[in-house]
Amino acid sequence: MFKELDPILHSQLRLAVMSLLISVKEAEFTFIKEKTNATAGNLSVQVQKLKEAGYIEVAKQFKDNYPLTTCMITKKGVAAFEAYVQALKEYLQVGNNRVS
Amino acid sequence: MTEEVKLTEQESFKIITEMIEKARNSSTGNGIGPLVWGILITFCSLETYAQIEFNFDLSFDVWWLALIALLPQIFYAWRNKKQRNFRSHDEVVLNYVWVTFAICMFLLSHYASQFPTNHYISLAMILYGVPTFITGAIKKFTPMLVGGIICWVCSIISCHTSIKISMLLSAVSAISAWLIPGIILRRKYLGLKHV
Repeated sequence: MFKELDPILHSQLRLAVMSLLISVKEAEFTFIKEKTNATAGNLSVQVQKLKEAGYIEVAKQFKDNYPLTTCMITKKGVAAFEAYVQALKEYLQVGNNRVS
Repeated sequence: MTEEVKLTEQESFKIITEMIEKARNSSTGNGIGPLVWGILITFCSLETYAQIEFNFDLSFDVWWLALIALLPQIFYAWRNKKQRNFRSHDEVVLNYVWVTFAICMFLLSHYASQFPTNHYISLAMILYGVPTFITGAIKKFTPMLVGGIICWVCSIISCHTSIKISMLLSAVSAISAWLIPGIILRRKYLGLKHV
């Protein structure tokens, strides 16, 4: 029986955001936008969904009079990401066995 | 990147790999720090060697240049930190390692001024190797790992040589620990910038 892939993570942009955040300690919104090539509006919506799931923390502050949004992955987010990668591996393993 | 796209398992893996690679490339240093230090310490070592070999004296201690060069380095690091829009996991640890190195070098200079010794440079090379080796290990950057080991080997050899030859060994250490890794990092950074 396969583990179901986490629907929060099984989406192109949210998965990209989580993959970036797992690689760094924290990242500003502009960094994530630049690396994912997403629009600000779409990215905001997906970041909000990840935040509501408890996978990331979002801090809003001001820097040189400009709003600054910083994102950081949570422990729950790390666990969910690891479980997602594990489930993916199982799917791919079965796919490879079928081919061979 | 759009949101509502149905992903296959392969596509998911591709996204994960691509994003982790992008984050890792962003963490690659620009190589300026090691380049400057590599050039400076090599120059100071060779200049001291030349003073002994050709028997001349400058009106100032050339090693003061190393301290003077610290100021633009600190300014550059501060400006760079302000401009960066992310923080990597190893950044905090490495900052502490290099600050510790700077403090130890200062303390060693103080010690040498109180208790003059011809083997000051042997001790300095032991210290050169420490942050270089740790940085190489954490960043998985082999040239710095090798550079750190070369510093320690040079330190051992310098215990059995004259101060003149020790200065050449100091130059070899600086070239291996900082100059060569600095050039490699700089080329990689510029290459990534043009992608």
